[in-house]
Amino acid sequence: MSSAYIASIINSTLRSTTPILLAALGSAICSRVGVFNVALEAQMLIGCFFSIAVNYATGSLLLAVGAGILSGALVGLVVALLQVKYKAADMVIGTSLNLLVQGGTTFLLYLLFGLRGVLNDPKLVPLYKINLPVIRDIPFLGRVLENLTILDYICYVVAALLFVWLFKTVSGFHILSVGINKAAAESLGTKATRIQMQMVILSGALCGLGGTALSMGQVTMFTENMTSGRGFIAMAAASLGMSHPLLTIFSSLFFGLCQGIGLALQNVIKSQLTMTLPYVATIVALVLFSRRSARRQA
Amino acid sequence: MKQSHNAKELGPRLWRSLRQPLIAVAFGLLVGALVILACGQNPIAVYIEMFNKSFFTPYYLFSTLTRATPIIICAMATGMAWRAGYINIGVEGQMVTGTFVATVCALFIPGPPILAGLLAWIAGMIAGALYALLPAVLTWKFQVSMVITSLMLNYVANYITSYFVTYPLKDTAGDGLALQTPEIHELMRLPRLSTTSTFNAGFLIAVAVMIFMVFITTRTVFGYESKMGGFNPSFARYGGTKQVKVMIITMALSGAIASIAGTAEVFGLKYRYADGMLSSTSYAWTGLMAALIADLNPVGMFFVSIFLSGLQIGGSAIQRSLGIPLEIATIIQCCITLFVSVKLIFKVRQKKPVRDDVKEGGAQA
Amino acid sequence: MKHITKVYGSLYANNDVHLTLDKGEILAVVGENGAGKSTLMKILYGLEQPTSGEIYLNGQLQHFRSPHDAINQKIGMVQQHFMLLNPCTVAENIVYGREPRKGLFFDREEAVRVTEALCEKYGLHIDPRRLVGDCPVGLQQRVEILKVLYQDADIIIFDEPSAVLTPQEVNELLRTMRKLAEMGKSLIIITHKLHEVMAVADRVMVMRLGRYIQEMPKAETSIEEMSYLMVGRRIVERQVPPRKPTGTVLDVQDLVLAGSEAKNILDHFSIHVDGGEIVGIAGVSGNGQSELIQCLTGLLQPTSGKVMLKGQDVAGKTVGEIRTAGCACIPEDRYLWGCAAKASLTETAIMAHQRSSKISRKGLLNNKGARDFTQSLLEGYDVRNSGQTQKAGELSGGNIQKLIVAREIEQHSPLLIAAEPTRGVDIGAMEFIHNKLLEKREQGDAVLLISSELTEIMSLSDRIYVIYEGRAVGEFHKADATEEGLGILMMGGKLNEAVS
Repeated sequence: MSSAYIASIINSTLRSTTPILLAALGSAICSRVGVFNVALEAQMLIGCFFSIAVNYATGSLLLAVGAGILSGALVGLVVALLQVKYKAADMVIGTSLNLLVQGGTTFLLYLLFGLRGVLNDPKLVPLYKINLPVIRDIPFLGRVLENLTILDYICYVVAALLFVWLFKTVSGFHILSVGINKAAAESLGTKATRIQMQMVILSGALCGLGGTALSMGQVTMFTENMTSGRGFIAMAAASLGMSHPLLTIFSSLFFGLCQGIGLALQNVIKSQLTMTLPYVATIVALVLFSRRSARRQA
Repeated sequence: MKQSHNAKELGPRLWRSLRQPLIAVAFGLLVGALVILACGQNPIAVYIEMFNKSFFTPYYLFSTLTRATPIIICAMATGMAWRAGYINIGVEGQMVTGTFVATVCALFIPGPPILAGLLAWIAGMIAGALYALLPAVLTWKFQVSMVITSLMLNYVANYITSYFVTYPLKDTAGDGLALQTPEIHELMRLPRLSTTSTFNAGFLIAVAVMIFMVFITTRTVFGYESKMGGFNPSFARYGGTKQVKVMIITMALSGAIASIAGTAEVFGLKYRYADGMLSSTSYAWTGLMAALIADLNPVGMFFVSIFLSGLQIGGSAIQRSLGIPLEIATIIQCCITLFVSVKLIFKVRQKKPVRDDVKEGGAQA
Repeated sequence: MKHITKVYGSLYANNDVHLTLDKGEILAVVGENGAGKSTLMKILYGLEQPTSGEIYLNGQLQHFRSPHDAINQKIGMVQQHFMLLNPCTVAENIVYGREPRKGLFFDREEAVRVTEALCEKYGLHIDPRRLVGDCPVGLQQRVEILKVLYQDADIIIFDEPSAVLTPQEVNELLRTMRKLAEMGKSLIIITHKLHEVMAVADRVMVMRLGRYIQEMPKAETSIEEMSYLMVGRRIVERQVPPRKPTGTVLDVQDLVLAGSEAKNILDHFSIHVDGGEIVGIAGVSGNGQSELIQCLTGLLQPTSGKVMLKGQDVAGKTVGEIRTAGCACIPEDRYLWGCAAKASLTETAIMAHQRSSKISRKGLLNNKGARDFTQSLLEGYDVRNSGQTQKAGELSGGNIQKLIVAREIEQHSPLLIAAEPTRGVDIGAMEFIHNKLLEKREQGDAVLLISSELTEIMSLSDRIYVIYEGRAVGEFHKADATEEGLGILMMGGKLNEAVS
């Protein structure tokens, strides 16, 4: 295997990691405040759609990314209201929202653009690819970092910021306390439900950004149901990372690697079979690490 | 005397259990109306068109019932697992696997077609059951989240069957672009129940599955134990239920039923397995929605499935005639589910149990 | 607090209650379970809002919408269920809500120093860096008290503070309370343990069924008068006929349950229970009682040892097998083990009977049989209900407990394990359940009673074992059991040490 080949696998790993990591961070903060958010998929997919739709309509990248974040947060708000405030069953809310957004984006795609399935137009503005002059010329590293977008770097910053916020600040301590013992937090005047709702909305925003990274990262297009289970893979990543922002980076990289390898193997093995790799890997990883997580819960 | 008392209670009880879903349906249709309005159409006219072309003309009614067949059976498969507390969202994968295996067996098992067909059904059910047992065993042995594993397995099943119909099992005789297997033998096909449409005996199978579900849930110890396990696993365990056994049977039944859904579609309607025929139609997910709206009640799931199927048939009719995307049906059905779940809470809230000064050991916390 | 009324549904938890508190005094609010003491305190602490009524503090009208408001007015509460963050340190728990900061960040070092200073000031010592989850219950309560003191509370509410403590820890607590009162704090203690009231309070207020009954200085009252006011009638001392033992039903030999760490949760635990007697197991919660029950009933697999039930070793068998062998169990936590909130009364009543010939045959349910059986339980045990389709979660605690007791006694098994059979039920239900247990004993069956209420153990049991850190550390006959003697063993002490 040549080093260029390895570099290209790492490159595609990094790109595939971004959406998963952002969504996994969203999942992690939800479980840190004791909310089981199943609507990650919906929060991502709506981000994919609206970032591309606004991109198409305005040509502005800033507005596009903003729309992705905002629309994700909006779905997060629905989850926060129904599931946290009105205490509806998590699975019911999650699955119905996932399906609603899946149908809704397809609906809007047809209604707004008259298209079925795919929105891919030369008018769409891609995110800036960062190719620093010096690094570009370093043989291996240059290939590894080739054509990464700003979002591919930002996601790690977000993870680090979340870590500092949750584990080093007073407000972070209060947020964590809600997940540890909600009644105790409330008895000392922390508005626990409000914090839970805020975190769910924030998770929506993160997933929305993750969706944006998906639709405006490697490609610049929207396809029906393009998240294809990434929200659930992100859930797995967060749970393997024990809902810790820094550990979640590593678990997300693992799932990114599976997708990277899957893509790389497509030349050798039929794509239908390589496509199963991330899903199989998710199950295998959950099983392998289950003992550890079981002990943590006990 | 007790009997007459029960009968008297039945009316109000029926109303009480129907009230929430009906209000939710009204709200769901209201949201749909707003969406239609936003599309620049008259909601009332659109709804009249939708329901005319789903329930009120015989041809469309048959289409609705035909489409409802796999949805009903998927709803039962979902209900079987969920009522026992096992969040199986992999019904689609189990259906795809089971159906694919059944189709392959129907194509390759030698001997008299009727016998081979029967074996194919059984093989499909076994395959579906095994595919459902996979997440069950992982949950049991490794405490892995069934939500994630069962969903992941959907993708795995879809891609692998897609591989088979694209390459080794592709029908080379017909349309070269269509990714599908050859047709099954004519004698294996389920009989049509109408001369003018594709309505077939698959629907009777759906009715049979529903009756089976009613029987299991209300008349068997297994149904009782699995239901209690769904309500509170600790309670069931304390009462001496063998939970692993209950889980294995529950999930196996769920997977086997899921496989019937798709097999009925192949043997009754399509006569072959085509790539994406069971996933792009969202049968499993519509069935899940139906199960949630009906609060896992078998008879309720049956009628809600028909209703949702009608919405979809009506949705595709208005897409053709009025240019409103058929996903309007999905939007309405998801909104109904959301409203059902929220309404349920209001009900529970009113009846919050009055506990006394409960005193529990703080040391265990 | 004036004219406080709180209505839940149709139930008056508080009905026109008044309460006054002077500086530096200890007021005891006494009443039976369900008398509305806790509700009143939750209203004072802002956890609940009154349906009507007013709260005045130093003559000023207050509206407490949340504990935050109450804390700001220097009211603190030591809750009955500790409100602690177990995975966090003592210091983190104490400074919660008013954390020392360094810029944007949480200054954990400063938190430790603050805690040390606080401990010094009030003479309540504890290691600030220790994880709360690792602390024993007595220390956890100390953290709760320090938390309130850190909030600078002038009024401190203690909600059933002695419920989880040994008699010796209770004495320690009472001393702490006196000291706080001398330092100028005003204390309210809610309890139903009258000797504690006599030991510590200045003034007593009695509540019954949500109503204010009477208040008086402690010096002018007696335990008898208070208990009369609490219950509304004189309590007759129970007359228990002498036991007629019939032969060993349960013989537990060297039962061991290994824990996750080096220490065994159950450590060579040995007891025996005869037919026709009630054997009590006394101990502070968390010394292995829950695990013992679960090992005996098959919910947990013991590591080693024998559980002989009518001569047959059932250790390690499944719940179903042990039930068939002749063991029924009233579980310690009725909402966790005893029922499912969404199950109907029929479904609740037939649990563990579902395979009996009355209820089913060859896996097929006899629904009429199930209804008739349920009806006989509901009527025979006076369970108030609105029909068998009612949900278990809609019954009151006392009624659901009566149904569970009914279900387990109707197993007619040689052994009945009764774990906390009257926890949190009203006095009527309590007497009813106690009588049923005694009836069971009269029938010649064995009853193993596990309870954290020492009075319950002492009044019902023929013999008493004390469990401490998973070992049976003492055995008493009814005649020679004293609260002090049991208390010393429950703390892990030895009897002769205490004597010398």
